[in-house]
Order: sequence, then structure tokens, then C-alpha cells
Amino acid sequence: MKKIYSLRLTLLVACAAVLSGTLHACKNYLDVKPQGQITQDQIASDPNQAKNLVIGIYNVFYIGGFDPDIDSFQFVIMTDIASDDADKGSSPDDYGDAKQIDNLQTSASNGVVNNVWTGYYQGVARCNQALDKLQNAQFDATTKNALIGEARFLRAYFYFNLVRLYGGVPLIDKLPSATEANSDKYQTRATAADIYKFIISDLDFAVANLPAKGATDVGRANKSAAQALEAKVYLYTKDYQKAYDLSQAVITSGLYSLVKDYSLIWRQKAVNGDGGNNNAESIFEIQAGINKDCSAGINLYTVSQGPRAGGKYGWADLGFGFNNPSTSLLNEYETGDVRKAATVIFIKPGGTILFDGFRIPGQDSVQNSTYSYKAYHSRSAEDNCGGNTDRLPKQVRILRYADILLINAEAAVQIGKVGDAQNDLTLVRTRAGLTSTAATLHSIWHERRMELAEEHDRFFDIVRQDAVEPGRASAAFAAHGKTWKATAALFPIPQTQIDLSGARLTQNPGY
Amino acid sequence: MKRILTISVLVLSCFFFVNTSFAQNAAVKGKVTDAATGESLIGVSVLVKGTSTGVQTDVNGAFSVPAPANATLVFTYIGYTTQEVPVNNQTTLAVKLSPEAKELQQVVVIGYGTQKKRDVTGSVASVNGDQLTKQPVQTPTQALQGKVAGVQVISSGQPNSNPILRIRGTGSVLAGANPLYVVDGVLTDDIRNVNNADIVSIDVLKDASAAIYGVRAANGVVIITTKRGKAGPAVVSYDANVGFREVANQILLANRQQYVDYLNVASPTKIASDDKSPLTIPGTTNWAQAVSQKAFETNHNVSVSGGGEKNTYFISANYIDENGVIKTNNFQRFTIRANNDIHISDKLRFSDQMSLSRNTERPVDVAGIYGNVYRAAPIIPSIIDGKYGNTSAWSNVGNPLLQLDKKNNFTLNNRIQGNVALDYNPVKWLTYHSAFNLDARFNNQKNYSYQFASDASTFTVGGGNQRQDNSSLFVQNDNAYQYQWDNTITFDRTFGQHHLTVLGGMVTEKGRSNFINGTRQDVPANPDQWFLDQGNPNVNTIDHNGGDLFTRESFVGRVNYSFAGKYLLSGSLRRDGSSRFQQKWGTFYTVGAGWVLSEENFLKESIFTNLKLRASYGELGNDNIGSSLFVVTGTPYQPYYFGSTLVAGTVIQDIKNTNLKWETTDQLDIGIDYGFLNNRLTGEADYYNKKVKNALTNIPLPGILGDPDNLFITNAASYRNSGVEVALRWNDKINNHIGYNIGFNLSYNKNEVIGLNGGQAISAGGANGQTITRTDNGHPIASYYVLQATGVFQTAAEAAAAPTNTFEANHVGGLKYADINNDGKIDASDRIYAGSYQPKYYGGFNLGLNYNNFDISADFYGNWGNKIYNGKKNSRGSENDNIEASYANSRFTTTKPSSTDPSTITQTTPPSTYFIESGAFLRLNNLTFGYSLPADLLKRAGLAKARIFLTSQNLFTAKRYSGQSPELFSTDILSQGIDATNYPVTRTFALGVNVQF
Repeated sequence: MKKIYSLRLTLLVACAAVLSGTLHACKNYLDVKPQGQITQDQIASDPNQAKNLVIGIYNVFYIGGFDPDIDSFQFVIMTDIASDDADKGSSPDDYGDAKQIDNLQTSASNGVVNNVWTGYYQGVARCNQALDKLQNAQFDATTKNALIGEARFLRAYFYFNLVRLYGGVPLIDKLPSATEANSDKYQTRATAADIYKFIISDLDFAVANLPAKGATDVGRANKSAAQALEAKVYLYTKDYQKAYDLSQAVITSGLYSLVKDYSLIWRQKAVNGDGGNNNAESIFEIQAGINKDCSAGINLYTVSQGPRAGGKYGWADLGFGFNNPSTSLLNEYETGDVRKAATVIFIKPGGTILFDGFRIPGQDSVQNSTYSYKAYHSRSAEDNCGGNTDRLPKQVRILRYADILLINAEAAVQIGKVGDAQNDLTLVRTRAGLTSTAATLHSIWHERRMELAEEHDRFFDIVRQDAVEPGRASAAFAAHGKTWKATAALFPIPQTQIDLSGARLTQNPGY
Repeated sequence: MKRILTISVLVLSCFFFVNTSFAQNAAVKGKVTDAATGESLIGVSVLVKGTSTGVQTDVNGAFSVPAPANATLVFTYIGYTTQEVPVNNQTTLAVKLSPEAKELQQVVVIGYGTQKKRDVTGSVASVNGDQLTKQPVQTPTQALQGKVAGVQVISSGQPNSNPILRIRGTGSVLAGANPLYVVDGVLTDDIRNVNNADIVSIDVLKDASAAIYGVRAANGVVIITTKRGKAGPAVVSYDANVGFREVANQILLANRQQYVDYLNVASPTKIASDDKSPLTIPGTTNWAQAVSQKAFETNHNVSVSGGGEKNTYFISANYIDENGVIKTNNFQRFTIRANNDIHISDKLRFSDQMSLSRNTERPVDVAGIYGNVYRAAPIIPSIIDGKYGNTSAWSNVGNPLLQLDKKNNFTLNNRIQGNVALDYNPVKWLTYHSAFNLDARFNNQKNYSYQFASDASTFTVGGGNQRQDNSSLFVQNDNAYQYQWDNTITFDRTFGQHHLTVLGGMVTEKGRSNFINGTRQDVPANPDQWFLDQGNPNVNTIDHNGGDLFTRESFVGRVNYSFAGKYLLSGSLRRDGSSRFQQKWGTFYTVGAGWVLSEENFLKESIFTNLKLRASYGELGNDNIGSSLFVVTGTPYQPYYFGSTLVAGTVIQDIKNTNLKWETTDQLDIGIDYGFLNNRLTGEADYYNKKVKNALTNIPLPGILGDPDNLFITNAASYRNSGVEVALRWNDKINNHIGYNIGFNLSYNKNEVIGLNGGQAISAGGANGQTITRTDNGHPIASYYVLQATGVFQTAAEAAAAPTNTFEANHVGGLKYADINNDGKIDASDRIYAGSYQPKYYGGFNLGLNYNNFDISADFYGNWGNKIYNGKKNSRGSENDNIEASYANSRFTTTKPSSTDPSTITQTTPPSTYFIESGAFLRLNNLTFGYSLPADLLKRAGLAKARIFLTSQNLFTAKRYSGQSPELFSTDILSQGIDATNYPVTRTFALGVNVQF
């Protein structure tokens, strides 16, 4: 017995020793790959993935809400609510940060200002990631340049909003390495002029390399979108000839026309072929849809601006009740302007019936008296994702033909082509159910306000117009019951970001 | 790996052989007494050596056992030295057992081995199992509170919560500051599956001697050893208690009148403009009361242990049923354990230590519920005739009671933890040990939200935003396995005066986890239908599946040397590899020395029974972060539409440090162990200095880099914890009737950030959009960094003359702040450091007294020198939120001006020193009265031991903090000490029995 034991023991110990050794011999035992994720190296070696990175940039439009934001609730606060077009809305004390902005009393620690900053730079980072991987991707030159063009178009769009909101900002022109990331080059502000120069170089490339409308997927940036955006950029740099040329190129392409019924522009579905998503007038539009987990829409865009109804202090029925069209805006509509009813949901004493038949109760059950119709998304007549209302598939119209007509008109007036301006203006006014007026800078500016109300451009327009004709902003805000100050033209650089830069970011004056 | 397992199992099974023998012999009788007092010893195990024949002494200490005339009897008794007595043809034996000289002979577990406490050069504290079981608490960690110097325990009243444990301060921010737990050799971070009654002892490695567990030892190591059988007849124990728990220090919120008075100032338009309908219903709702309950708890434990000379066993079963003090919250746990030792031969021992735990829980969303309890208006009823009060129609806060009732969450956790081990001694001084450890978890979760509308079908009045349009079901299954294989060889030999122990070995570890979950809407409310397939497949279906994998590999070596029992040297070295870093390998070591002065001739006849000086220094590592954090990864299938076509985008988002490496801790410990007066007074004192380098930390990134959460994980920070610990124990017996003991321990710790990414401070925590804490050079981790409140404006003139406040306009009744930088305005640059939650001092004292059959014990625990931030007072979700009653009474009003408390606290009130309060407290953790049945009664009942007891946990707390509890359970290190939404602290009363037969 004993002998057998010791024989077995020797065997066992020998086995164990060998096994220990074997285990150690597994050389890559500690080399564990990430589980359930693709690595950067895998992406770089796969052309399809490089393509997908460009799609991934578009996906950044869906961020927002109370988190970093690009084209959602907080961007609306900084553009519409900040302007004379809209009041903050909701209950008076709801959302202190929005209240500050509405009252032109934004502080550097305002959370909205920080979230929009970080949101836009997330967009820029996605562009730079895609551009970095596209460098070595194996495509034919046309495909590759079109993809690069899309990424550069989107990067230009992000920087255009950044420079209009904050002035000169850090210029992140590529994917920085770890050491570069903390360098002064990136941690300090470039001048606004440098940012505009960078935007224009991106857009020049996009114009030269993007396919025309129809030659690429609906929803992707195309040549006209790049021309349209660049035309708008040139209004801001007061380069009116170029603004005219580029907008003229979009007009003469013949690819776009005005939707007949103004109110149908913001519907999901066309009515008798008119309006709806990606309509004849749409030049660049954020796309959305219904996927299985309801994640293909802009977070809180619609619900934040939805009527706060169904119990005075609840947001039960349609939304949080922000961004109410202001009295100042309503006062400026001419009699007979069809755009008033298409832009504003009026809460009436006996209730309001919307286009889809939905009835909003009377004023006694609703918090505010006006809401934005352009942000409305029907819960019955349009596509919905179950009860999930956070990401309703509302497609936000970023650039549309009427905007281009008015850019063209304004540039034309500035370079003395009043006849062209008159044509543009008449087209826009006729669709609005109005007779033509003489095309002057003032009549075009008035038309811009009426045509583009609640489309997140008004604040930028006032600031821009004030630079052309000082005093306009003061007057506009006085009519809105607010006091304008020159330093309000730019939002503060978020204090958090100044701190994180080690005070290398400088603050805008007045904050 | 799989093949290795199979082979090992095969090999092991070859040797599974148990040897037993039987014999018929004449009876040997006798009596066992205490060598010192002459008292009879009851329940002493008497075993005939080399057989499984054995008995226990009766209540008179007498025994009678059949044994051959040439046999040897082995007498074993807890707390006494085991004695072997040859029968030598005698028929009657008088045996005197000597108590173990505990402090000298006590063995401590030091990792991959044990050592006599007197030979240890590191700082190791031990707690006996009986210290743990007398408290009606769920986890061993919680029972450690106040028992060990240098160990701070923060527990929560929530059933099944994992207490926070800090050994010698907070040593890490990201990689976890909790220690490593080792349960019978299994490395883990969660010991909620361990039954307190199964524990023999807990040994806490506080200093660099923990380096033997280098891979995760930086925050100290808590080693748990469970019970094993002793040769002898079966010993059956039954321990049980039954009692109830209640909220200790229920929070007092403003009542109806106080609230309305406050609202008239804070939100005058609210009262004036609203239709006032809620104001017409009389009565005050105490929301804290409305969601809490008195909760039943019971704990039953049965164990059987015993065995023969060749094999011993310990088997136990435990059942805990504990309801939470928040309504609907409950918890049940069932554990079983089997520990076996099988001596296959003189040289080969096979053992296993296996436990299975299964618990079920209905958890509650504490943050959500308590967030609303603090905010909900007291003028709204909680529930009337089955209809809930509509708080959201009034103030946008959900009715917390409805929140509880309309959620039915269920969690089921199964866990298998244990090991099988083989010990082989080819010669007496050499041991080869191979243990295969397994920790496997299988969890199930079902969360159901009932559909309800915001109309009169649910509420007393309709309206508001609290509703659930579609019922929703979330189901998750997850499993995690962690394997660990230890192989060590220990050489242990004495050469004359020299004693040398050398250990060498290797440990490999692999962890794998998986989860899969899904969410569906419109699942029927009938629980029998709570499956994903019963939901609507067409809308809002969410499914997720993911997993994790990591490996570690370590080479271990240790040398312990002593000369003449006086001069001690030790050293250990580890080479650790972890898959979680780019720089995978780290080397960790410790060196230690000790001098047992009491063994020197010049001290032999002194009052010192024991006196030892010791010192250790070493470096330890920490890799307790997520896997693959150094690899840049992309997320595929990010949706976008082109027209009506869904397309999949890829996004590379998180910025990674591709050069991630070990976080390391250097620690110096100098200590003294002492025993005076024949060891009636014993204790230790230690000084330590612990420095963490390359600490893994989340560095906030500038927004311009586009990282989604703007955080970057890297090796950046350095921290220091230095301090002093003192422990004293006094044990004495006045006479045969009265004995008593007093224990005392006190720790002082200074925590400081000594380097932080070149001065980049980390802000965390928040109230009203402003951060509260800051972790920066020269200050403790998570120090409060807020404005300095200097009083309250009494007059309009005073308010007008003060520096401009950029947060809210200065007004009468508003807080005044110090303009620290004298720039004429109050803004973020006027913040000052105002203490932290980390206590400067903490400790406990324990008292015990025996008088005949009665026993009483009291355990106190407390800390001071720390601060609490009353975050729930500062944070306002809306101006209509309720306030605390104490603030309602003290706040500034025109009729009763206050110079300290402002008239209102609004959404723009910035964090300031006004909200900082003292965190000092002293608590009677446990008070127990026991009565042991007298011997004659036991004899009649056929019992070996029987005791009944009455116990209370957390009977009272002396505190200065105005909130509910000064003990704040927060797992987020950077925002610790901010009292936001904590589970209420509970008080327990229980009646119990301990029976042994």
C-alpha cells in the first residue's frame, strides 16, 4: 500500500510541476484583447470601417439634451432663446442656466455654454478621427475625396457654429498625439479670422470633391450643401461677392425649389408630393428614423420644445415647454403672412387643434401661451418609437433653399445687383402669401427673421447685422424687453474649460 | 486551461481514499480540569489517537472512552493547549489542561502560510470569529467596525450592501480603495457571501507585509479563515436570532405650516398664482415616515463538525431574512459550507473549502426615493383610499411611495466560492501546496415597472408628469468566473537556534464575465408573464450583451528567519503580471525585521511578558481598474439614416493612455507589540507612512479633445497616508465568578495629495450646478472647496454695500460670503478649502463582563476631526422643494432675523461653508446581555452549551451633525462626505440563542 502511494505521489508531484511549467509557457497568457470592442488597429486596416467612421460623424448630431449638445435643446437655448425670437418658456424658474441666457446675463460657469462647447468639439474630434483613418484607406481617389469632403464639410459646420458662438476658439485641425494635445498650439484660442480661414479651406475642398445632389445618398453632405454653407460663411466674413457667387451656384443648379406650402416644410410626410422630410427645399438636414432601440433621433430636441400641457405644472403631454415664440416676433408678422400660423402654436382659451388633429387643452391647463410649431413632431400622424419621446425622429432642417435665396438677396444688394435680390425676395414673399416689397438690406433682414424664425439662426443674424449696421441689436432687444450690451455678442468661454487649459484659454470681454 | 483542469481532477481522484478503523476496548475514565483554576472543563474533546473513537467531557468534566491499554488519548479544547496522555494501563486519568498563552502562541495567517504572532515582523491584526457573530449584522466587514486599529468601516442600513473598508486611509481614487479579501485562499473584493458564523478568524495585513499578495495588496489585505472540523465526536451548534430593524434618527422635514411659510418667501408667485387646490386639503405628510417601515429580521445558523484522525469535517447552513426599513425592500440569503480535510497518508492531505450562497432581494432605488422624500411637498397626502397624492402636479417631484409601489425589482444571486487543495510533505520540513480556487457567480435580475396614468385613476387629482405610459420589463442574466491556481513549496526547518522558512511559488488567475439583458414594453402585470417574449416585439426593444476577460500571473517568494526567537528577519518578493496594463509586469517586495526584547536576559524578569520592536518597508501594487483601458477602441453600429435607410457608423471616442502601468504604494511601518503583567494588558502601537505613486486616476480633459465624458484614465496622482495606531486590551478575572475585559483602539491618519498631474485639481460632487469637492496638492483627497459664508445680510444697506455676488443677487436674509481674493465680487475664485470627510481620528472601545452565568458586552465606535457637507440642504431641484424642520425653525425671517441661517436656499445658492457641519460621532454599536444555562440544567437537557441573549445594534449615536447620520455610505471617493441620498441608518433589536450539543 505504502509503496503504491509513494509511486503515485511522485507521479502527481511530477505532473503538477510539469503543468505549472506548461501554464507559464503560454507566452501570451497576459495578452488579453478587449472583449466586445473593435480596436483602432482593426478599424485602420478595414476600408469599410473607414467609411463607417464618416457615418459615425453624422451620428454625433443625436447627442444633446442635458449632456454635451450640438443641435439639440441647449443649442436652441443659445440661438433662439438667447435671441429676440423667443422667451425661455416652461415655468419661470425652471432651468436657471437657460434663464441666464434668456436674460443676456450668461455667466462663465453656465452649464449650457459648457455643454455646447464640448458637444461641438466631440463633433470635431469625430471628423478628425475619420480624416486620420481615411488618409491611408485604400479607395479610388473620387470615393476617398468624397468621404474626406463629407468629413471636412461637417467639421466646417461645427467650427462655423463655434466661431459664431464663442469667437476665436482652439483650432484642432487633426487628431493630436498625446504630447500635442497639451501643447499651447491646441490649448490656446486661434483668432476668429483663422477659424474662418480654416472653415473656408474645408468648404473649398468639400465644394470641389462632393458629388451633386442625386449622385449620393439622401442625407449625406453634397456639393450644394457645401456651396450653401460656404455662401453663408461669406456673409459673416462680409465677402459678399463670394457669398453671391456660391448661393448663385446653388440657385442655378436647378436642383432645389421652394416647397409650395410653407407649413409642410417641417412635416415628416409630404402632402401631395409637397414638403415632408428631405423635401425639394432641403439642402442639408439632420436625418432620423425609427430603429429598434429608439436611438436614431436627436435627444430631447422635440420634447424640450413641446407644449407643456396636461396639468399646469406637469410636462405630461408633449414636452417641457421651452422656446416660446416671443411677442416681439409675433408683432413683426405682416397681416396675411402664412408663416405665422406655421411657426407658432397658439394656445387658445378653448384649446388648440394641431394639423394632426391633436388637441392641446385650453390655457388654464397649459403653462405657456406660444410654442414652436417647427419643432413639433406628431405622436399620431408621424412615425413614433413606442412611448419613447426623448428621441422623436424629428429631422432638423439645417440649410434650406429659402435661406439660400435670402443669402443671395443680401449679397446681391451689397454688391449692387438689386434685380437679383428682388427676384429672390419676391419668391420668398409670394410663398408666404405676401406681395412683393422693394429689396433693401432692411426688407431682406426683416424677411430673414420671418422666414427663419425658430430655426436657430436668429441670434447669429442679429449679431451679424449689428456689425453691419450698429444699433440693430440694441433696438431688437429693446423691442423684446431686454437690454443689449456689445459684449453679449459672444458667449463666455466656459470657466471649466479655462480651468482645464491651465488658464491658457482667455475669456471673452465682459465675463 | 481546460485540459489542465481535467488532468488535475483525474490525478486527484486517484488519491481519494479514506482510511478508518474500529476496535473494541475497555473504558478509560477520568476528569479534565483547568490547570490554573481547577475548574471542570465541559465539552473537551477526548480522542483515542489513531482512531475515530472519541467522546466529550460532560458538565462535570468527566469522560469515559473505550481505549486499548497502550493507547494515547488526545485532549483538545478551544483556548487550551492540546495534550496527549498515554493510557499506560491506567483506568482513571486526571487531566489538567493549560490555557494557551494566547499572545505568544497565537498563529496569524500571513498569506500562503501562517506564522506565530511573536515571529511576525509586519503589522497584522486578528479578530476572532466569536467577536463577529455576536452582532446581528450581515457581513463580516460590518462586524469589524471599531475592532481593529487602522481599519475604518463605513456601513449602510441597506440590506445586502457591501460596506466600505479603509485600511490606513484612502490610498486610491480610481483603482478602488477597498482592501483585497482572501477567503480561505480565494482572492475577492466582495465577501457578502460569507456567513459570519463560519469564520474562525479575520487577519488584517495592514502594512507592506501584504506584499505577498502584491497584485492587489496596496490597500491592505483582509484574510478570512473559515472553520474546520476537529477530531472527535460530532459537535452540533445552533445559533439564531430574531428581531426587528427600524430607522435610527428619522429625518424631520418641515410640516405644512413651515412649508407654506417658507414658500411664501421662496416662491411667492407659486402660492399666489396656483389654483391652490392642494392647499385646501388639510394635514401634513411626513414623507420620510411614509416610505419607511419597521422591518423583521431573523438569522438561523446550524453547523456540524467533527471527524476522525484521518478526516475531519465542518458543515454549516445559514439563513438570513432581513427586510429593509424602506417599504417593499427585502432580502433573504441562504448559505451552505462544507470544509473537509482528508489525510490520504502521513504525507498527503487533501482538503476542500466550499461555500454556496444564494440570495434574493427586492432592491429599491434609494437615490430616486430619497431624492423625492426630501423634496416632496408636505401639503400633499401620500395615499388616500388607494389613490396617491399628486406631488408632481404641484411641484414636479414624483410621489415616492408611488415610485416604490409601481416598481417590482427582483434580484437573485448565486455564488460558489471555494477551493480544493493538496498538501504534500515528502519530508517533514518541506510542503508542496497546490490549490485550485474558484469564485463563480450566476445572477438574475428582473425589473418590472407597472403601467399607470397621471390621471384620477392613480391619483387623488389628475395631472403632473409622474406616469408610466407603457409597462416595462428589464431582464438580465450574468455570470462571472474567476479561477486562481496557487502552487507553492514551503521549506520550514530549525537548525539549533536558527529557524528558517522559505516559500516559493506561482499563482495564475483568470477572470471572465458575461452579461445579457433585454428590455420590452407592454409586458402584462401578472408576474407569471414577466418574460421578454411577452412584451411588444415591435417597439423600443433593447438587448445588450457584453463581457470581460482578464488574466494575472505571479511569482512569489518569501523568507522568514529567526534566531533564538529574538531576532527576526523577513523578506518577500513578487513579480506580478496583469493583462490590464500596457506595461504588464511589476515587481513588489517587502523587508521586515523584529527584535523580541522580552526574550533578552535583561528583560526576562521584568513586568514585560512580551515586548517586541518591529519594522517593515515595502512596495505594493494595485491593478484594480477595468480591462483594456489602454487600448483605443471603436464602437460600431452607431445609427444614422440616409433617407429612410438605416446605416451603421463607427465611432472612436474615448481617449486612452496607451502606456498604462501599475499603481504602486510604498509603505513604512514601525511598531511595537507589548504584554504586561502576565499578559493581562496587551497591545500594539504602530507608526506608518504610506505613499501611493503613479496612482490611477481620471484626469478631466479639456473639451477641445472631444472625449465623450471628458475623462482620461492615467497614472498621474500621488497620495500620502501617514498615521499612528494604538491598541490596548485588558483581560482579567477577579475571581471564579467575575471576569472582565476592556479593549481600546485609536487611529490617527493624515491623508494628503502630494502630486496631481502637475497641479491639475479634480473637482467633483455638486449642488446647484457648482462642484463641492476638490482633490488637489497639499489637501486631503476630496476636500470641500467652497465659498466662505460669513453670515446673513440684515439690512438692505448692508446687502447693497457688499461685493457683487455673481451667483445670486445680495439681499436681506441672503448669505454673505467672504471676498477671499478682494476683487470686489463673489465668484468661483473666492473658494476656500474647508475640511474633508476623512476622519483625523477614529477608533472603538469594547467592554465585556462575565458574572457567573451572565455576560454583558458593549462595543463603541466613533470618529472625529472630519466634516460633512449637507448636500441635500444645499441642492434645490425647484423652489417648491420642501426643507428640513430644523432649518425651517432657524432661518431668517423679518420677524425673527437670524445672523447665521439665510431666509431661503434656492437653485442659485452656491456651495459654501454654511452647509459644512462636524462629522464627529460616537455610537454604541452593539450592546448584548447574555445568560448561559447552568451546568446541571444543561445536563438534564442533554446539551453542552446553551445561552440566550438580547442584543441591540446601533442603540444610540451621539453626533453633532444635523442630518440623519454622520456615517455616509458613498462609493464615489471623489465626492465622499456629501450627504445627498443615503439609505437610512438602522437600529436593530434581536433576541437570540446559542446552543451546542
